[in-house]
Amino acid sequence: MSSRINSRFIRRAVSRAYSIGATLVAFAIFVPVSPAQTATPTSAKTAAPAHKRTAADAAPSAPVKTIGNRNAPITMEVFSDYQCPSCGNFFETTLRDMIKDYVASGKVYLVHHDFPLQMHTYSGQAARWANAAAMIGQFQDVDAALFDNQAKWSADGDVEKYISAAISPANFKRIQGILKGCTAAPPTSKADRSAPQPDPGCPVDPYIVQDIVLGYQVPVQATPTFIIHYKGQSYPASSGMITWPILKQFFDTLLSQ
Amino acid sequence: MTPSETRGNLARTLLLLGRLALAAIFLFAAYAKLKPQAAMPWSGSSIKTSLSLFAMQVDSYQLLPPQFVSPAAHFLPPFELFLGLWLLSGVLLPYASLITTLLLGAFFAVMVRTYMAGLEINCGCFGPGERLGPLTLLRDGSLLALALAVTIGAFLHGRKTRTESAPVAHVSTPQRAD
Repeated sequence: MSSRINSRFIRRAVSRAYSIGATLVAFAIFVPVSPAQTATPTSAKTAAPAHKRTAADAAPSAPVKTIGNRNAPITMEVFSDYQCPSCGNFFETTLRDMIKDYVASGKVYLVHHDFPLQMHTYSGQAARWANAAAMIGQFQDVDAALFDNQAKWSADGDVEKYISAAISPANFKRIQGILKGCTAAPPTSKADRSAPQPDPGCPVDPYIVQDIVLGYQVPVQATPTFIIHYKGQSYPASSGMITWPILKQFFDTLLSQ
Repeated sequence: MTPSETRGNLARTLLLLGRLALAAIFLFAAYAKLKPQAAMPWSGSSIKTSLSLFAMQVDSYQLLPPQFVSPAAHFLPPFELFLGLWLLSGVLLPYASLITTLLLGAFFAVMVRTYMAGLEINCGCFGPGERLGPLTLLRDGSLLALALAVTIGAFLHGRKTRTESAPVAHVSTPQRAD
């Protein structure tokens, strides 16, 4: 009697397990994947890196937000927000070592793109300072100063204090002069992926907007996001914190091809 | 055909479908991680590049120290390929599905931890470019449940098969003396 009950119980259990299994098979097979999985980054579709395409459209006084030799075999484009903690961490623990090592030795050309997020109050303002500094050839120092002091100026928005300490007074005055007409709120990326409006009186805003729109095309879904180009080919965009030893290993693999 | 036989056939069919679905998913996951990127042809060098790219995705989870990231990234895709082929063969299915369940359970735990920590990274589940989010968690959770169902089904089916094939014991009925 008890063995009959047991076998009936097992049969029911098996039958139910299979019914659940069948439902899950159907779900696993037909569940929609996130759009990012199916979308190919725009810069990955084209052989020319995004910075080269934008450079062609840019005015002669366009900010140069790059570090290293333009003819380096590897180009790395980074979409970053100066106030995002992951971007700060990525700069301090990965990009700083990369600049000292592979950028300095001419293996990597680093291209910065601004992608200030709406949720960060001062990131747009910091991007304006970085772009103005890039217009007078002071990008690298200002870029490092912004990330080095991220926690401090993020608290009160006093970006100027740390930039003035990083460059000469003369250059600081030149940057202030460039930003004199910037009175409206700086452009930031939008959740609905619409292009932000630049301040007509601010000469750097069009370049920030240009970077944001380029970021939408990648698509940048989180900061930092970076794209690596080698021998005319673009590798899929990666996001998040990657340590220098692992990134270096990837570069070495590319260079050994 | 009796209702019991019908249920048995249905159970066998569902187990087969579950096994094949898991095998296909694992084979595709391995292929997506090993396939050449950036229009490179298949070669040892292109696979090495793909594995280095996958190592960056493993690293972005911020779970392993750098010295373990590369070995993990070089081990996982071939192991997924092996598991996919094992599931496809159906040999020792209870053990194949059990290992699959444990692996998917580990993946799911790591993904939940990463998502809860607020890290905005690529999942790396089926190659580069897929952001870790609620949908990927839902999908991987469903795959884990499927693997668990297949494991339970495979063990129960194995036990049932062993019971049915066991020799029937002949018990002699005592004769009445009158």
